[in-house]
Amino acid sequence: MARQLLPLPRPPLLAVFIGLALELTGCKGSLPGASPQQLVVGFQGTIDTVDPAQATTVGALQLLSAIGDPLYAIRSDGALEPRLAADLPIVSGDGLRAVIPLRQGVRFHDGTPFDAEAMAFSLRRFLAIGKLSYVVGDRIRSVRVLDPHRLELVLSRPYGALPQLLSSANLTPVSPRAYRRHRDRFLPDAFVGTGPYRLGFTSSQLQRLEPFAGYWGPRPRNDGLSLASLTTSSGLLGALRSGQMDVLLSPSLQPDHQRALHRQAAAGLLREGSGPALEIGYLTLLSDRPPLQDPRLRRALALTIDRPLLTGRVSDGLRPPLRGLVPPSLPGAQASWPSHDVAAARRLLRQAGWCGARPLPLSLTYRSNVPSDRLFALTWQEALRRDLPDCLQLSLTGMESTTAYRQLGDGAFQLILLDWIGDFPDADNYLMPLLSCDRAEGERCLRGASASSGSFWTAPGLQQQLVRTETLTGPERLLVLEQVQQRVAAASPYIPVWSVQPRAWARPGISQPRFDGSGRLLLAQLSREAQR
Amino acid sequence: MSRRGRLARYLAGRALLAPVMLWLIATLVFLLLRVAPGDPVDALLGTRASAAARDALRQQLGLDRSLPVQYVEFLQGLVHADLGQSLVSARPVTQIVREVLPASLELGLAALLVALVLGLAAGFSGIARPEGRLDLAGRLYGIATYALPSFWAAMVLQLIFAVGLGWFPVGGRFPPTRVPPSGSGFYLLDGLLAGSWSTVTAALHHLTLPAVTLGLLLSGIFDNALRLNLRRALRSDYVEAARSRGLGEVRVVLRHALPNALLPVLTIAGITVASLIGGALLIENIFSWPGIALKLQEAINQRDYPLVQGIVVVVAALVVLVTLVVDVLVALLDPRLSF
Repeated sequence: MARQLLPLPRPPLLAVFIGLALELTGCKGSLPGASPQQLVVGFQGTIDTVDPAQATTVGALQLLSAIGDPLYAIRSDGALEPRLAADLPIVSGDGLRAVIPLRQGVRFHDGTPFDAEAMAFSLRRFLAIGKLSYVVGDRIRSVRVLDPHRLELVLSRPYGALPQLLSSANLTPVSPRAYRRHRDRFLPDAFVGTGPYRLGFTSSQLQRLEPFAGYWGPRPRNDGLSLASLTTSSGLLGALRSGQMDVLLSPSLQPDHQRALHRQAAAGLLREGSGPALEIGYLTLLSDRPPLQDPRLRRALALTIDRPLLTGRVSDGLRPPLRGLVPPSLPGAQASWPSHDVAAARRLLRQAGWCGARPLPLSLTYRSNVPSDRLFALTWQEALRRDLPDCLQLSLTGMESTTAYRQLGDGAFQLILLDWIGDFPDADNYLMPLLSCDRAEGERCLRGASASSGSFWTAPGLQQQLVRTETLTGPERLLVLEQVQQRVAAASPYIPVWSVQPRAWARPGISQPRFDGSGRLLLAQLSREAQR
Repeated sequence: MSRRGRLARYLAGRALLAPVMLWLIATLVFLLLRVAPGDPVDALLGTRASAAARDALRQQLGLDRSLPVQYVEFLQGLVHADLGQSLVSARPVTQIVREVLPASLELGLAALLVALVLGLAAGFSGIARPEGRLDLAGRLYGIATYALPSFWAAMVLQLIFAVGLGWFPVGGRFPPTRVPPSGSGFYLLDGLLAGSWSTVTAALHHLTLPAVTLGLLLSGIFDNALRLNLRRALRSDYVEAARSRGLGEVRVVLRHALPNALLPVLTIAGITVASLIGGALLIENIFSWPGIALKLQEAINQRDYPLVQGIVVVVAALVVLVTLVVDVLVALLDPRLSF
């Protein structure tokens, strides 16, 4: 029999513990210290820097669009809107000089006036140290102040999409006084710009935005907001459900979580807003060596892509099917790639000597840390097994994205699924980074974006056409863009699959989330309905 | 040589070995990072940047220099306590470590406290009636908490207490609508020092769920360790001798058996503290706790060489220090140990 050594203590320890915990948690479901006028917007990822010269992540650019102002903005309908510029640029006859009239009466968050000197300071700073300075430096040679309210940009070559380039959040001006010691180095944890909000606090996980009383434009509809990041998609979903966050941003949310939120919005439990689809998902085909050197095989692969099936399985239709490299919302976009046609694909594969006893073995690499990529790969593999089992044998390899990017330019992948979002919304930003080629040998690109993108494909005269699209404007430009896309579709070194729209979901009682034409959530337009 | 002299010699040897150990770890991390596939320039610029832009950034980051030159520079910096700058944010690594380390330590210490309270209570519970219901329950508790996969347990607790009941926040360290306290980086301490009860409760509100989760998962080790050692101690000769002298059972247990049974627990606590210095990645990840493990993971993904190196070196140094302190404590408390 067991021996009792000590008298059994009987305090209600569990009850005490639970009582203490409940005491600490305060009122259920509320944010301690939260003001009802403040909103919390959640997203996944961290913001390591708020310096426009340094920021590259979606979260950081979303933040900069609220605390800074660009010279031009793109409205949700795609129209250009001067912001800190007073009007569109006046371009010289040779297209090499652009004079930009600036808005007057604008002040930085530190009270100093915004003028041509400040804008020139910011542009020069970006050209000197900006991480994406190659996007601008390639086109803007120098910056000159004509008078306090007029700025002249000297271009290296005529550039039709200059206002779109100047809409980039990276080019938002910063106060020369606040950045005088950071003219040639980054200032990652402070920001002094001209936007509707000033940055009250920043850490990698949290940014507090406070309305800027001296803002030149309309006052934000809320009394400030916090951008809070969590590390997991499920955490964000839980935070929205439990009321700890008011609005969620879609980038990095897992596809099934996005689907769940979309369904809840359809049922009226949430409010959903979406922006223009500026991110494209596409396959890159290694086109300079066998077997995909043969354009018939590349074309055949393009014909096997059942976009409605793939986007349905991967995103429940949240990712619109895409048959062009330029997102449909941008001028010059064209659906040049063929639709799903198994019979035509089989014909081409047979012509190339495959099918029957000799199926074509291909290897698809997908980024193992991107859930939608894996879903795409599995679905496509199954679709090929069903439709063309005697013609194509697709094997799959998962690889962490940074490792994959490193090997892309080495021609390591026969087929790889990637995505791309332009630095600013313009057709050039989707064609140049995939097709530009500095040195070629026949249809093989030896050096340039096409090689570093992993396709190594080019065509005689294509580079000249691409350069022309930069210099032209209006219908003439659209015509050249159309020709370029038709040539690329015929050769199919890339196969567009889907586009991705940024989305946001708000809890009931919060206004409908709206996006601008650059795909940024308009934070200043968010409000609690009772507040209006 | 006296025991004290031998202990001093042992400690001096450990202290002399520490820099060598740190150098080895630093060198290993430096080399492994360079061998691993992936490039910080890709992580920063993506794959679309021109060759000129990539070369310029490589030069700006000092990655164009030869490996031996980079290594010598790294070691020189290390000697001067300069861990370099993050490639991603361009902020000094020491500053980043100063921000994230207190978060991990605060969580680790709170979790350790929970683990000790729960584990020791569970371990001690069976002593009253061995093989009784309470003893069995304690044993089951120890096995269950030890065996639970931490990510699963954390997610379930998060779903119940944060999402379902809404008692605690889903993640983060401080309410997003408030500015976190400044000072030491230990929010509870900063709140107490500032005399701000609202800061303390807000920090505690965020700390409770991750700390209880981690503490719960760690408590099984303490439960088992105390249970086994206490039972062994209660069957030992010196305890029987104490009983035969007519001492009461409470006094026998508390004064004679328990101190001896707690010595291995102290060693385990030391090892646990050392392991928690590097953060608890799964817990930090699930609760979005901005600690050192999460930052390290992020830095590895971004191939931020200086930040990875800096974090590993700092953590290694602290682990060496903590294990040394634990060794000293155990040596001082346990006269049976020889060196």
